[in-house]
Amino acid sequence: MKDNEKPKQTKNSKLSRRDFMGAAAAVAAFTIVPRHVLGGPRQIPPSEKVNIAGVGIGGQGGADLRELSSQNIVALCDVDFRHASGTFKRYPNAKQYKDFREMLDKEDKNIDGVVVGTPDHLHAIVSMAAIKRDKHVYCEKPLTHTVLEAKMLAEAAREHKVATQMGNQGQASEETRLTCETIWDGAIGQVREVHVWTDRPLNGIDKWYWPQGVDRPKGEDPIPDTLDWDLWVGPAPMRPYVGNRTYNPFVWRGWWDFGTGALGDIGCHSIDPVFRALKLGYPTSVEACCTLVNDETYPVASRVSYEFPARGDMAPVTLHWYDGGMKPHRPPELEDGRKWDTNGKLYVGDKGKMLGCRLIPESRQREYGKPPQKLERSPGHYKEWVIACKGGKPAGSNFPDHAGILAQVVLMGNIALRPALKQKLLSTKLFWDAEQFKFTNLPEANQYLTKEYRQGWSL
Amino acid sequence: MQTKKISGKVRDLSRRRFMSGAAGLAVAFTIVPSHVLGGPRRVPPSEKLNIAGVGIGGRGAGDLDEVGSENIVALCDVDDRYAAGVFKRYPKAKKYHDFRVMLDKEKNIDAVVIATPDHTHAVVAATAIKMGKHVYCEKPLAHSIYEVRKLTEAAREAGVATQLGNQGQASEETRLACEFIWDGAIGPVREVHSWCNRPISPRGIDRPKETPPVPETLNWDLWLGPAPQRPYHPCYLPFSWRGWWDFGSGVLGDIGCHQLVSIFRALKLGYPTSVEACSSGVNSETAPLASIIRYDFPAREGMPPVKLSWYDGGLMPARPKELEEGLRFGNADENLYIGDKGKMLGHRLLPEARSKEYGRPPRVLPRSPGHHKEWINACKGGEPAGSNFDLAGPLTEVVLLGNVALRMGQQLYEKGLKLYYDGPNMKVTNLPEANKYIRNEYREGWTL
Repeated sequence: MKDNEKPKQTKNSKLSRRDFMGAAAAVAAFTIVPRHVLGGPRQIPPSEKVNIAGVGIGGQGGADLRELSSQNIVALCDVDFRHASGTFKRYPNAKQYKDFREMLDKEDKNIDGVVVGTPDHLHAIVSMAAIKRDKHVYCEKPLTHTVLEAKMLAEAAREHKVATQMGNQGQASEETRLTCETIWDGAIGQVREVHVWTDRPLNGIDKWYWPQGVDRPKGEDPIPDTLDWDLWVGPAPMRPYVGNRTYNPFVWRGWWDFGTGALGDIGCHSIDPVFRALKLGYPTSVEACCTLVNDETYPVASRVSYEFPARGDMAPVTLHWYDGGMKPHRPPELEDGRKWDTNGKLYVGDKGKMLGCRLIPESRQREYGKPPQKLERSPGHYKEWVIACKGGKPAGSNFPDHAGILAQVVLMGNIALRPALKQKLLSTKLFWDAEQFKFTNLPEANQYLTKEYRQGWSL
Repeated sequence: MQTKKISGKVRDLSRRRFMSGAAGLAVAFTIVPSHVLGGPRRVPPSEKLNIAGVGIGGRGAGDLDEVGSENIVALCDVDDRYAAGVFKRYPKAKKYHDFRVMLDKEKNIDAVVIATPDHTHAVVAATAIKMGKHVYCEKPLAHSIYEVRKLTEAAREAGVATQLGNQGQASEETRLACEFIWDGAIGPVREVHSWCNRPISPRGIDRPKETPPVPETLNWDLWLGPAPQRPYHPCYLPFSWRGWWDFGSGVLGDIGCHQLVSIFRALKLGYPTSVEACSSGVNSETAPLASIIRYDFPAREGMPPVKLSWYDGGLMPARPKELEEGLRFGNADENLYIGDKGKMLGHRLLPEARSKEYGRPPRVLPRSPGHHKEWINACKGGEPAGSNFDLAGPLTEVVLLGNVALRMGQQLYEKGLKLYYDGPNMKVTNLPEANKYIRNEYREGWTL
């Protein structure tokens, strides 16, 4: 699609770009989209299979489809036929598309659910289009590219009563449940401080999963025949294609226009148990520090700190996030010889510490044993979604109840890293007003709650 | 210059007492009698010192300006182009490329100012000290812990006046930080954070493959000095050697001796029991773009154990709640002390209200006549300078130990360890491979 062509509008796209931007700019006077006149999601009895379409299938999207291959994979869509070729081959009966809008138009009747595994900047656009057609949605993490998109998707999913699940598989794990139960049992007392870290974008000690802290390359390469660059760029500002794994596949994660950095990549995984165990919602403040950062890519390394208010009988808590190889101080409770891992979660309570889902030192865990089981165990992360699609209970990381707010909080951290705010943020933190859905002390920060969509694209 | 503001009048504590208090080490501060044969020339206060500069193009020029009231008799640099301005500024000074030749030929030198890249500090300083010359050496004192220890011992043995180029040690701010802490203004301190937003030269990069010709104005072999041979490349000099392990010591080495000196004195730190490091990626060639180094120090003279965290590359601790909105929590360089009864940022109690209520701590430390002046006084028989090597040595050793942890990061990670350290014996006790970074090997033809 060319920049100046009119986008295909579905019947329900009531939210014009102007409405959307206006909402973002201020109080989010965001219109609740009315229920689709013709129906809502198809009722699928448990004995039947869910008809699934995949959008963005070359990377993690392909892995997601494998996990769902007990269902019918009816249609596949990717803008990069070379990257997607393996997945196309695996499902020879599935119809193949480049443009998800065309796919949704043509296969509307054949699709019950959509699996979204595109780069981050397209998650919301694809997911929203599917939700508006009453399709169930499984969307990779982070749920969206901007805070407002996550909020809107969560609200739209609730409105359309579709089954949703974000791709943070760990939410379904035993570890997540043990974390909650151990903390709720008071095993480490009140938790006032949590540290969560990943080495990404670093991979080990001197290799990179993807580059950050770099500038936009000069020049332009011929676009491969197998790639629709215009569709790949989608709602992002157009830029020249550059090959050599500059933007795709996978390494888009480091670019502000397409990805959400290490925090966006890993935060929805590793902050999930913290959210559940500590019953978190919006923070009251966010602040960050990082290596040199520009308007093109996320910094090489950062620390982001969130302050959360008291919740029920739980004390206020500060959550520190580290990436790019940075870690908190190794706790003295961790015995010599035990790895202080490249990715981890440390809960600091008044009465003890927990690393991941285990108390430290290990002798303390042994003495403590297991907490009382209070939470239902999961049939599996993907299975949860399939069950929900068939009218069962909502999946553990469904958008309205969990993934929406988790992704919003994760993405807020990136706002605190924005280079344009850096100088001012040396003299203050970002204070967040949940009710007004805005930062109260630095109005220019609110522009980053949303983004401008390229002409022809809207939610 | 902050040193200009400092009054030198009040001396209710002798310099010696301040020093030994600040050192807080098990170092027996032996007063060594002046060397029997030779030793430094006695220069009465009325006379001028004859000073030679080695490594004069960069920071060395600034140091020479600061001691310009004395006679600058000889200048040495391996890079004629870089040193040209300074050569011009002192037309009467003899010019040399090789410090060994200079020290041999110029018998009238009393003292040497050293501002070469880190990897040549020790060879120059040791040569000068052994000849009974007073030494002013830029920070960090040397490139390896072993070199630092040898220099410290040699200076003590030779009875020469020494000073490390960490000017902040002479400041009012450093004294105030000590006086606040010692007065109990924030109670016992168990945690302290120090940060600097450098580097300002490239890091996390590999050795270049191109081998451009050596400029005619540069003696590359002498520039390399004791470091392993490698082809010339402009990415190493001037200044940008700081990022290369063979020549520099990273941001910690560059800034740590400045910034940690207040913490060292105020908290009477000696050697840590352990150190750990994390970084944005470290290779065998260059220091990382960003790192966090964490030290654990044992209890000292009525002070509880303390954790010291060093951050560079733009990282820093979280903004303290006590700091009022609108007040800057800068990323440039700062120290944050966390005590049982309060917090102090630099030498300012938090929040501002607490600072106003508290006022000034009792003045127990003598003020400095100025950092460079301290050294000149010491050269002329006055009291030892504030950052003489007996004090600067242990500080630099601890700073350089952080780099050992950084470079051993992968091994420490794989073994699930932090690095345990025996300071007096200069030994990593739980990971013998780490000791290769305590002492660096010299290229043939070079010795300490």
